[in-house]
Amino acid sequence: MKKVLTLILFTLLLSGCNNQIYSKNLFYMDTYINVKIYTNDKKIANEALDKIDQLYNDYDKLADRFKTHEGIINIKDINNYDMNQEIKIDNRLYELLEYSKLQFLKTNGLFNIALGNVIDVWEEYRKGNKKGIPTKEELLNKGSINIEDLHLLGNDIIIKKGNISLDLGAIAKGYVTELAGDYLDSIGLEKYIITAGTSSVKVGKHYANDKYKIGLTDPLNTNNLYMKIKGNNISVTTSGSYERYYEYEGVKYHHIIDPNTLFPSDYALSVTVITDDAALGEILSTTLFLMPTSEGLEYISKFNNVEAIWYEKDGNIVMSHGMNKYE
Amino acid sequence: MNKHDFILISIIFIISVIFFGVTFIVKNDNANVAYVYYENKLIKIIDLSNDELKEYTIKGYNGDVIIETKRNQIRVKEETSPLNLCSKQGWVTSSLETIVCLPNKVIIKIGSSKEEIDAVVR
Repeated sequence: MKKVLTLILFTLLLSGCNNQIYSKNLFYMDTYINVKIYTNDKKIANEALDKIDQLYNDYDKLADRFKTHEGIINIKDINNYDMNQEIKIDNRLYELLEYSKLQFLKTNGLFNIALGNVIDVWEEYRKGNKKGIPTKEELLNKGSINIEDLHLLGNDIIIKKGNISLDLGAIAKGYVTELAGDYLDSIGLEKYIITAGTSSVKVGKHYANDKYKIGLTDPLNTNNLYMKIKGNNISVTTSGSYERYYEYEGVKYHHIIDPNTLFPSDYALSVTVITDDAALGEILSTTLFLMPTSEGLEYISKFNNVEAIWYEKDGNIVMSHGMNKYE
Repeated sequence: MNKHDFILISIIFIISVIFFGVTFIVKNDNANVAYVYYENKLIKIIDLSNDELKEYTIKGYNGDVIIETKRNQIRVKEETSPLNLCSKQGWVTSSLETIVCLPNKVIIKIGSSKEEIDAVVR
């Protein structure tokens, strides 16, 4: 009896000290990424953190469109290459391009990694190197934005048929975060939080058999949260117009460009997507940000396991039908 | 249950009360502090319970980052960076807003508020 009692009490005591937090801050893709793992295995946790660091590091270089890196062919190299020339690239980058092209079709062209030329023009104005806003001609004349100019020939070989400029800014981070989450799940470290920049978070299982609580920032008062989402094994991603923008004649011009108008979209103040896939979350939050709310609601009703919240200009909040499972 | 069991239970009970007490105190203490990180290292904990303006200088990746505090508020006053996004962000009063000075690899967080939130997206 005594032994049993001691054993039970000892187990209780031990279970109290379970699950240490192992955490690492990473600086990649123009943002800061925090990975937190809850486990009692220090060695495996630290190895996993190093692996994830390497993962973001690798893709940061592959997706870089401003700098070339020795020993690899990245987006900057591809953009510099002449047209009609076969280019052999890293298999990981090839798969990312393939995935992005597929998403172009699935979003009816709203998610487009070939907008680099237009983004560059806007960047000049946002930085203040040029005053005012660009004209439509100026935006069109910089170069092609047709993703079909990018041909994927198989065996990691690509060819450019037009002077497109690729930009993976809207996908790379979410894509790698999803890979990182998959990796943690696969080695049994299922309790984690990956905060990828200020606009995206991916959580695994809860560290104490509860649900993670994720706050959504009020676009009109960033010191406040307007909503809390509760759940496990989800990715929450927000696209907003109030983070990166410049003002001209009282109008705000933000960084998410509508491929149809070549101008920043002008619908909700922010759209948040909840799904189990961080890459898809990133793509859908951008896509929904480029649509009126009613169209967006219709669009995501085709997906299983995708919910969204719109914070409209007048402060009105619209939720998709399945949102109640996260309350 | 004999005498030894009773002693064991008492000891464990006392230990858990102490642990609980410590966590409770630590949690409450967090309310008025700011944590300053350089890359992965916590390099400074600043008390935010003073009314008067105070200045701190942190070594960032590009040079000095000057931080200013007053009661429950913190801001980056000056930094060496291309866009100065950090100082433009201005005063931060809540744990929901993090100041991230990317070029300088400096992160500033206010201690967690009473409300328990695991993550914030904006």
